[in-house]
Amino acid sequence: MIRYLLRRTAILLVSLSAAAVVLFVLLRLLPGDPANALLPVGATAEQIEAARRELGTDAPLLSQFFSWLGDVVTFDLGKSLVSTLPVGDEIAARLPVTVPLTLAAFTLAVLIAVPVGVLAAARADRWYGPVINAVAQLGIAVPAFWVGLLLITVFALNLQVLPAGGFPPGGWSDPGAAIEALVLPVVTVALVMSASLIRYVRSATLDVLGADYLRTARALGASSSQAMWRHGLRNAAVPVIAVLAMELATTFLGAVVVESVFALPGLGGMLVRGISQHDYPVIQGIMLVSTATVLVVGFLGDLAQRLVDPRLLHRSTS
Amino acid sequence: MNRRAVIRTLAAVTALSLTGGLAACGSDDDSGASAADSSSAIIQVGSVYEPQNLDNTAGGGQGVTEALNGNVYEGLFTLTDTGAVEPLLAKDQKVSDDGLTYTFTLQPNVKFHSGAALTSKDVKASVERVTAENSKSARKSNLAVIKSIDTPDDATVVFTLSSRSISFVYNLSYIWISNAAATDLTTTADGTGPYKFGEWKRGSTLSLTKFDGYWGTAAKNAGVVFHYFTDATALNNALLTNAVDIVTSEQSPDALAQFSGNASYKVNDGKGTTKLLLAFNDKVAPFDKVAVRQAVSQAIDDKKLLTSIWGEYGTEIGSMVPPTDPWYEDLTSVNAYNVENAKKLLTDAGFPNGFTFSLDTPSYDPHPTAATFIKSELAKVGITVNINTITADEWYTKVYQKRDFAATLQEHVNDRDVVWYGNPDFYWGYNNTQVTDLVNKAEQATTTDEQTSLLKQANKIIAEEAASDWLYLYPQIVVASSKLTGYPVNGLNAQFFAYGIVKS
Amino acid sequence: MSRRRSLHLAAGLLLVAVVVGGVLLSYLWLPFAPDDTSGGRLAPPGGDHLLGTDKLGRDLFTQLLIGGRIAIGTALGAVTVGGVLGVSFGLVAGFATRWLDDAAAVLLDILIAFPTLLLAMLIVAGAGASLATAVIAIGLAMAAVVARLTRVLVKQILARDYITAARVAGISWPRIVVSHVLPNIAPTVSVNLALQAGLAVLAEASLSYLGLGTPPPNASWGRMLYEAQATVLVAPVAALAPGIALVALVIGVNLTADGLRDFTDPRRSR
Repeated sequence: MIRYLLRRTAILLVSLSAAAVVLFVLLRLLPGDPANALLPVGATAEQIEAARRELGTDAPLLSQFFSWLGDVVTFDLGKSLVSTLPVGDEIAARLPVTVPLTLAAFTLAVLIAVPVGVLAAARADRWYGPVINAVAQLGIAVPAFWVGLLLITVFALNLQVLPAGGFPPGGWSDPGAAIEALVLPVVTVALVMSASLIRYVRSATLDVLGADYLRTARALGASSSQAMWRHGLRNAAVPVIAVLAMELATTFLGAVVVESVFALPGLGGMLVRGISQHDYPVIQGIMLVSTATVLVVGFLGDLAQRLVDPRLLHRSTS
Repeated sequence: MNRRAVIRTLAAVTALSLTGGLAACGSDDDSGASAADSSSAIIQVGSVYEPQNLDNTAGGGQGVTEALNGNVYEGLFTLTDTGAVEPLLAKDQKVSDDGLTYTFTLQPNVKFHSGAALTSKDVKASVERVTAENSKSARKSNLAVIKSIDTPDDATVVFTLSSRSISFVYNLSYIWISNAAATDLTTTADGTGPYKFGEWKRGSTLSLTKFDGYWGTAAKNAGVVFHYFTDATALNNALLTNAVDIVTSEQSPDALAQFSGNASYKVNDGKGTTKLLLAFNDKVAPFDKVAVRQAVSQAIDDKKLLTSIWGEYGTEIGSMVPPTDPWYEDLTSVNAYNVENAKKLLTDAGFPNGFTFSLDTPSYDPHPTAATFIKSELAKVGITVNINTITADEWYTKVYQKRDFAATLQEHVNDRDVVWYGNPDFYWGYNNTQVTDLVNKAEQATTTDEQTSLLKQANKIIAEEAASDWLYLYPQIVVASSKLTGYPVNGLNAQFFAYGIVKS
Repeated sequence: MSRRRSLHLAAGLLLVAVVVGGVLLSYLWLPFAPDDTSGGRLAPPGGDHLLGTDKLGRDLFTQLLIGGRIAIGTALGAVTVGGVLGVSFGLVAGFATRWLDDAAAVLLDILIAFPTLLLAMLIVAGAGASLATAVIAIGLAMAAVVARLTRVLVKQILARDYITAARVAGISWPRIVVSHVLPNIAPTVSVNLALQAGLAVLAEASLSYLGLGTPPPNASWGRMLYEAQATVLVAPVAALAPGIALVALVIGVNLTADGLRDFTDPRRSR
């Protein structure tokens, strides 16, 4: 396990640095000079030069990269070209929306998907097996923003029980209002997420149900559900955990789009704005934060998978 | 009520304290129910114009004007909601006979929100911020006539101009007087207005609170919270669910039916100054030919476009001048919709089979819709339009700075902006010495009557030559809860004075 | 079970056929010209206009058919880009050993860590919003997933005895790839590509909804949904029709992929 941990940590660190390189190169490959955004109308050649010096875009690429990396390591993500304000501060200010939204939606999705998926597999012969299956199929095909629109129309506009969008001015200092603002977005993301999760859980459970040890357990007199809970779930959990780590990343993405629908001041809105304004430091900062998060979650997911699956534990390296 | 109680209890148990109690202004979302005394009410304002930053000389944009102009910052003069220029921080003014020296006496006892008293040095520093080398203010070039600024004592400012400028006082109404000692005006503010700046949560809200030390008539409410939305639908939903009390400027007419038929809301059809332009590159073929521009103008049914986008709202215009400008004249009959004549003009200009051009279209509404419409209209006279969608930033670089375009769509928000046609270096490159002369003479006029008559002449020429195609004037629709009174309805130059609003 | 799988396949193919049929039809016949604005503002469904008209008076059914071209085009385009790049890279990575293998694995992990939509947004930021940009961006993101799958499958097959036997018999690697590796990975990879095609259609709709995809006047379903959002209470059909078309196509593609799996994965066909 220790060897695996070391190896996996090394891979994580390499991945993080490589991600930084990939991101840096990708953004430098894009056309246009960010300095343009800083200039007033009819700028002179000297002004353009001054702006490039200010941004450091006149330096050689390699030295730009290292100075950027140095800044990143010290949590300095640069300044927005449009607002001239520090990107890191704005990301930090928006995390209190995106992080709770992602985590709550993810948790809710898992809470829906695991029991429903197991049920769909264990009772595939009953009428609700196929029904669950059909609903999940539908859920996968529906775009998240459409679900959001539907929920807004029903719960905010018609029933008027929840806000249609926005976030309270006081943020989390008014927890009641903040939570109310997040209910519909969380449900939107969770519904869409759980649809694909249900299918994973169902197919993992089906695989396990067909396995020999479960049949043995049943033959030895354990009731079907006992066998199911004792042996089945633990084994079904292994592939599901791997998927969960990836799904958490997808949830975050879902949140990005859904934030736009609900006018939430999270990272999604910031990214969309950054892209439409060609605000490279903003795009770079958000991409870096989100990629790093995905990689770290993947790392934790792998570790969790090892801990749950005894077989993998003994096979120390794959 | 019950539901809220349950959710709140739940929240108290589970909520993580993710922000460190930043709410200096202590605004409560539930102000509607508890506000017994109207002067303690907080006005919740909905808008799509979030500021980029809080400095109007550093590209803060339309949003910063809406939120802070007149509310947090004040100028020597103010442009009222009806379009009149009135003194504000300037108590008294003297103009020399040659029109080159302006002497202003400041209002006494004016204090900045930080506590410092207003002096003439602050005025000088504020004007210099606008005219500075790195200023991004749109008014910078208008103030180039200032030769020097003197401050003989704390209450007196003397401006010396290099030439007569009849718009000088009007232009001063755009200049915010800020505390010369303030170091950061991009994330915070220090002005003299009836509200002090509270807190700005980017992507969400900006709050202002009543300033108790205000020198003039105090605000009639306790504060304002601007709520920012990125699209019109979310904004309307907020109004429908009472999350906001008022919407500064409706972006789409389709939601209005829900408000106009409902006694809880009032729909105000005010006078706007925003024009949608199909701006040609007047220097480059084929639009360097007057006949081609006239043909395109006549081939597009502006009325139908206006109805498509705004339903029954909005106004047709025949030139750059909106009806609120003193030199307005109805020129809608000039180059009016006439497909047959457009075809004839094209043939005369040497394009009997039409031509193809690329239309640079900002990616946000209403430009894509208008571009689609124009493409279909011009197809009828044989002109092929390639719609090239660009971001606001690209527009600025490609069209405004590099002039690398054939034609573009753009909204022009300001009043009194017909004078741009007198500047051959402006992005559309319209170069008519007669118009340039008229505009320059108008600026040096000694009376407003003279100015008005000269600008009317200039306006007529650009309309006849179809310097651009002025598609329509945006309506300025303010929708408010019927509990609200005293709000501005015209939104000139995107101003929104909140201090008179009363919530009952 | 097998019967249900066939049912999936049939239902899936039917849905896809309806959409593809509509798209093919649109090349031969349209109820109105795409930019014909004669319909009047927001005309209700019925009469000449089956689904009503949009703000400019354009026929919504016409727009819907044209939107189908974009959806199908996105699916095909992205699958081509993703399939070709993904399988090629996956093959190479599958043959790699030791540190090269680790490097390939790490690289793929990183690329997958850039989620499809973010990657697409990034590319759109640089290259500008257009259908081609969106398709290439979605295809690239898909390539990483396909490459990872291909790599694993290739490794499994290379470990089989018959490959060793073939090597011993002196058959060259290129021939082994063509005659043993590709045929063996093809079924699983194609099912995966079919599933990815559905995701690609959704991704393009999301991009267009955010204003980062197909620019007007082309009617992407995502763009139509965005525009209909403002008029949802006045013209609900405009908000429903593109959504239903989108869902039908994606479900159709997913069901087809599910059904195909039956033929390719004998373990599942029990």
